Amino acid sequence: MIIPLLAAALFSCAEPDSAVRLDDVIVVGNATRDFQMKSSQTALQINRDYIDNNFSGSLMQTLEGIPGVKAMSIGSGQSKPIIRGLGFNRMAVTENGIKHEGQQWGDDHGLEIDQFNVDRIELIKGPATLKYGSDAIGGVLNLYNNFIPSVPFEGSLNLFGRSNNEQLGVSAKIGGRKGRVFYRANITLLDYADYKVPTDSIQYYSYYIRLKDKRLRNTAGLENDGSVMLGYMEHRFQSYLRISDSYSKSGFFANAHGLEVRLSDIDYDHSCRDIDLPYQSVNHFKILNHTTWYNDHMSVVADLAFQNNLRKELSEPVSHGYMPIPDGSLERCFDKSTYTMNLGTSISLTEHNELQFGVNTEYQDNNRKGWGFIIPDFETMSWGAYVYDRYEPHKNLQLNAGARFDAARTHIHSYYDWYETPLSETESVFLQRSAELKRRFTSVTWSAGASYNKNNWILKANIGKAFRMPIPKELGVNGVNYHIFRYERGNAELNPEESYQLDASVIFSNKKLYIQFDPYLNHFPNYIYLSPTADYVEGLQLYHYTQAKVLRYGFEAQLNYKIDTKLELELKGEYLYAEQQSGEKKGYTLPFSVPWSVDAGLKYSFVCKGDGFVGLNAHIVGKQDEIVPPEQPTPGYWTLNLTAGKQFMLHKNTLRVALHADNLLNKRYYDHTSYYRLIDVPEPGRNISMMIGLQF
Amino acid sequence: MNKYFIFISLLCALCACSGDDEEDKDMVKPSISESGIVASPIDCLVLHKGDVLPFRYVFEDNVELGKFNIEIHHNFDHHTHSTSALECELDDKKQPVNPWVYNEDYDIPENQKKYNAHLDIEIPEDIDTGDYHFAIRLTDKTGWQTLKAVSIKIIE
Repeated sequence: MIIPLLAAALFSCAEPDSAVRLDDVIVVGNATRDFQMKSSQTALQINRDYIDNNFSGSLMQTLEGIPGVKAMSIGSGQSKPIIRGLGFNRMAVTENGIKHEGQQWGDDHGLEIDQFNVDRIELIKGPATLKYGSDAIGGVLNLYNNFIPSVPFEGSLNLFGRSNNEQLGVSAKIGGRKGRVFYRANITLLDYADYKVPTDSIQYYSYYIRLKDKRLRNTAGLENDGSVMLGYMEHRFQSYLRISDSYSKSGFFANAHGLEVRLSDIDYDHSCRDIDLPYQSVNHFKILNHTTWYNDHMSVVADLAFQNNLRKELSEPVSHGYMPIPDGSLERCFDKSTYTMNLGTSISLTEHNELQFGVNTEYQDNNRKGWGFIIPDFETMSWGAYVYDRYEPHKNLQLNAGARFDAARTHIHSYYDWYETPLSETESVFLQRSAELKRRFTSVTWSAGASYNKNNWILKANIGKAFRMPIPKELGVNGVNYHIFRYERGNAELNPEESYQLDASVIFSNKKLYIQFDPYLNHFPNYIYLSPTADYVEGLQLYHYTQAKVLRYGFEAQLNYKIDTKLELELKGEYLYAEQQSGEKKGYTLPFSVPWSVDAGLKYSFVCKGDGFVGLNAHIVGKQDEIVPPEQPTPGYWTLNLTAGKQFMLHKNTLRVALHADNLLNKRYYDHTSYYRLIDVPEPGRNISMMIGLQF
Repeated sequence: MNKYFIFISLLCALCACSGDDEEDKDMVKPSISESGIVASPIDCLVLHKGDVLPFRYVFEDNVELGKFNIEIHHNFDHHTHSTSALECELDDKKQPVNPWVYNEDYDIPENQKKYNAHLDIEIPEDIDTGDYHFAIRLTDKTGWQTLKAVSIKIIE
């Protein structure tokens, strides 16, 4: 039904007689050039238009069109970001400058941010711990939803749907500014059913699981987000307070969660929209204050934030080994609070020299509950200070360099089993799963680079060192990971992981052609790696944390060619190679190695009472033979995808329709970086996403 | 300047294409087979309480075998099935009172590519009768793992 409607909308118009304007189709304009010349890092700016036009279900899936960015699918249509093959705690996500702190380490935890309330995104590929501290090794995804309204009242209403998991959603925003005071508020509601895969059954180990109506049992879910923002601004001063909450509840694939492939008395096939055990719920509450003061030569920015991430995993209580059937279904609960304070100053020393310095402090408190143990309780206090200088010796040349010092103190608490394990006929004990541990870490990082532009060229090079503190799971875990059928053991001796990276960027653009090439070379002297061993503990294979030298290199490339005023060709691709150069798995790659991929697309733009476009894209992914136990090689595949968008002007309002059809040929394929790859679940079949938005 | 950068970029691109990963990496999982022996237990095997459960399988690996684990747990709730287990006739569902729990890790002598696993497991007298799962897990030195699960039944 959707397609004929859209087709009618697209083709009902005659040739436009107004002057053709396609400025926004050209990827690089002066604004882009200014942005690119600001830093020597490989960076990208993504605005709301791009997000709306490429809307494909979730924010991360929308961003997957950007070379070097992957959405690691974790089931339930949720996904977590990967930049150049590094995800989890090896990249950072910030919201309005504050580092987002959920349970990033987890394989099945999505991003707890309202994706329909993002004004713009800044993506940094490469080491960025200089300004963002620990974790920003692979890159940073900076999300902003703090645009200040310019009129007394404005708003938007978006409705969206997704065919594969019958997702329905609504998102409403209002905002306004009167005199010195401004406000914003938004609400997003989402509900989806079990998602469909193009297969009737899944085979895992020797188990054979039949699927009803090709649906992945119990992967339905819902999400409710809301935020309010209140601000004050005057000449040279601005401050706002933003409170947001994001709640989601989603089921886990019922047949492969927990220790073994399980059947249950729960009638999962009764409804595809209900959420039965096992499921997870996540609530992320955030309150932040951002204050800026500036004059002609100087600016000071202060951020204060509190965030609480409350995550629960519930499943049917079962006995395992010496653990009797537990009471209740709360398997794991993580309650993590993070307090953040950032202070930054920027001073114009001369017209061409800008000095920045600042401090970041963060305190984290994590408490666990439930009958399953995976990470201990802990508190971590960390702080860092940086200095950064930007110098423009010539109008076409920009140099930058900076250094940072970080220190952290972490206190991990001991944990004992709640049940006894027999040691002999007469003796039994409550086994200790985590030992009391106090560690201090320090790290020095730096970065230097240059950007140069002449005529149609921009050339950038950057070298930098990044780091991350070992997380308490890596230091203190000692127990069964019920999700992945394995026993994991931490290593209290781990050192901060360090990474050295050389980045370059070459950009050429003229009126017809845009080319970008971003190669990089990356070395980790001590990558923290969870290595599978030959040993067994409590009946499960032991995986333990080690540190190994790792070499990674790769590139992203993009080419846009405007064939004529309406037709544009786009080619983009990425390649990544990773190898462990020491340790137990010397010679092997890293887990979830991203295979090479190429996208070829053709886009037709037109103007007819508002801008519109239709695009067809072939997404080609290579096979991945570079694996490490327990992975399997993943064959290559290609999918055909369609994107279309149209704006309609209704009086002073804009109506926008965006359509995204993925996997038009309903191909069955596996994604090497998907969480469900290990249990042989193929990726979703044909999916059509649609969004209708009204701006007023 | 211009040329210099292009040169560096090309160099990076070149090194990206010259991965020298021709080392001998073990990419093969170990195997659990019945080759040349009468394997036990096999699906639908029925045994008496107090009997000896003979464990006979052949383990093989291309490089070196690691360790193995045997785990036995009840299937009174019919929680899983495998392709072949479907054919075994299951008793009615029931609540466990004193189910048999067996979970033991075993070493394999070093530097073995092939190992005939030969164990006799005593079935306790005081356990619940009914359907059980017998799971074999086998690793190789590298950390690859193979799993095999069979359904057995314990009667009086």
